[in-house]
Amino acid sequence: MTHLQFDHVTKSFGAVPVVETPFNLAIDRHEFVVFLGPSGCGKTTLMRMIGGLDQPTSGEIRLEGEPVGAPDRRRGMVFQSYSSFPWLTVTQNVAFGLKYRNDLSEDEKAVRAERYLDLVGLYEFSDHFPSQVSGGMRQRIAIARTLAAGADVLLMDEPFGALDALRREQLQTELRRIQRRDAKTIVFVTHDVEEALFLADRVVVFSKRPTRIVAEIDVRSRLGEERSLEIRDGEDFFALRRETIGMVRAAAGGEL
Amino acid sequence: MSAVAETISRPEAAASPAAVARPRKRASRGLLRLRTPLPRGWGPAIAVGASVAIVLVWEFVARLGLTTPLFFPSPTAILSAMGRMFSDQHLLWHAWVSTLRVWGAFLLAAMLAIPIGVAMSGYRVIGAALEPAIDFIRYLPVPALVPLAIIWFGVGEETKIFLLWLGTFFQLVLLVADDMRRVPQEYVEIAYTVGANQGQVLKDVAFRAMLPGLVDNLRITLGWCWTYLIIAEIVAADSGLGFVIWAARRYMKTPEVMAGVVLIGVIGLATDQLLRLIHRRAFRYL
Repeated sequence: MTHLQFDHVTKSFGAVPVVETPFNLAIDRHEFVVFLGPSGCGKTTLMRMIGGLDQPTSGEIRLEGEPVGAPDRRRGMVFQSYSSFPWLTVTQNVAFGLKYRNDLSEDEKAVRAERYLDLVGLYEFSDHFPSQVSGGMRQRIAIARTLAAGADVLLMDEPFGALDALRREQLQTELRRIQRRDAKTIVFVTHDVEEALFLADRVVVFSKRPTRIVAEIDVRSRLGEERSLEIRDGEDFFALRRETIGMVRAAAGGEL
Repeated sequence: MSAVAETISRPEAAASPAAVARPRKRASRGLLRLRTPLPRGWGPAIAVGASVAIVLVWEFVARLGLTTPLFFPSPTAILSAMGRMFSDQHLLWHAWVSTLRVWGAFLLAAMLAIPIGVAMSGYRVIGAALEPAIDFIRYLPVPALVPLAIIWFGVGEETKIFLLWLGTFFQLVLLVADDMRRVPQEYVEIAYTVGANQGQVLKDVAFRAMLPGLVDNLRITLGWCWTYLIIAEIVAADSGLGFVIWAARRYMKTPEVMAGVVLIGVIGLATDQLLRLIHRRAFRYL
């Protein structure tokens, strides 16, 4: 069932076109889609438009059939940096996702915040400030906040880009687990091929500008739904990775 | 630091007994290395030590008769002048009057500058409309506007408050606008995507995010207020530290002039340290 739909979307900032050729894409409910492409190819802009943080110049994006408008808590954002508020403790940051909900009592909010804090393994750090925890933990705070807000679409803009390889792997595994468990639709932007393949049900490979889709890779049919570190070391993964890197290279037009 | 000095000096110390004096030399050269951190507790010790040394040298030079007391009185002469002024000339009251003027004008400037500055960088229309005028007025030297201030407000309290306000408000507006501009767009967007409205974004996120920078800028601006205060009080006043200093000058009472100046310095330093302390306490998360 289609959850999100890009319908002939184009975008320019003033006179500068970002997405010129009308962009079409349908994303299923509970699907993990990764936008993979060279820097500046417009993939982030397309994702931001889902969140209502940028408006398409023409065309339409539909969420459950309805055109998306201003940002709301159905579509949560996780950024690479400045992803949590430094003046709030870890718990307060997670609870911030619930701050503007009128349908829950303060007690319910506290319980919910704690649950998501636990889910991302930050319970013991609840009273720390973001400056006192690692970069990986800060990204977990952001994920927990978004989940606590009740978003059913997670929009993630290179959220693990600033982490070291080990933490990255760990968070990728966790994110995939959470996505399976909580049945979220995720749109994830990255330029890291391995990350894309490990996380995605489907990878959309973008060309450099003028932006268009070069390929769609059905990762689910190649690697299955469960992702573990063993899969990452397997033959199938390597083969897929080689293929994908080839596509990305071609798409970048020798500018990698 | 001491660990560094030890590792550097060890081979020589073993090689010859004459090297005993060397480690100290090496250590001091270490301190003058670009950006070398100071050992714990050395910072305040050096600050106090150097300040005391300057005063001592000054006292010594004055006592030797190398300076004319009329032009350059000794620190003790200044101190005793200050003591006399406390008892005979209501110096404390004058200081109080000046402090009230500074804080009155400062608060007025801050209360106007914060919302206007936030609005200027939050809403491009307002920024575009106000920035040229503010930038222009910002460069007008306050002393040049003294005659105008007197024409408008006479020589009463209003003139002083106006001049102080003039000197700080226009600077502060632009500083506040800058603080607001520096709030990461991500923070704003996070708030929107968890359902905040514009007012909530401003209050709960933008203002909170800019607060440490804002407090710092307020602290710096408060210092400028004292500069303009003296100008205002010299021109038109019968009270305040500026008046005291100017009156003492008329009779060439240099120790009293300097006592007034020193008192301003002391008040300024104390206020600054207090605000820094509050900053550290309030923004522990930084």
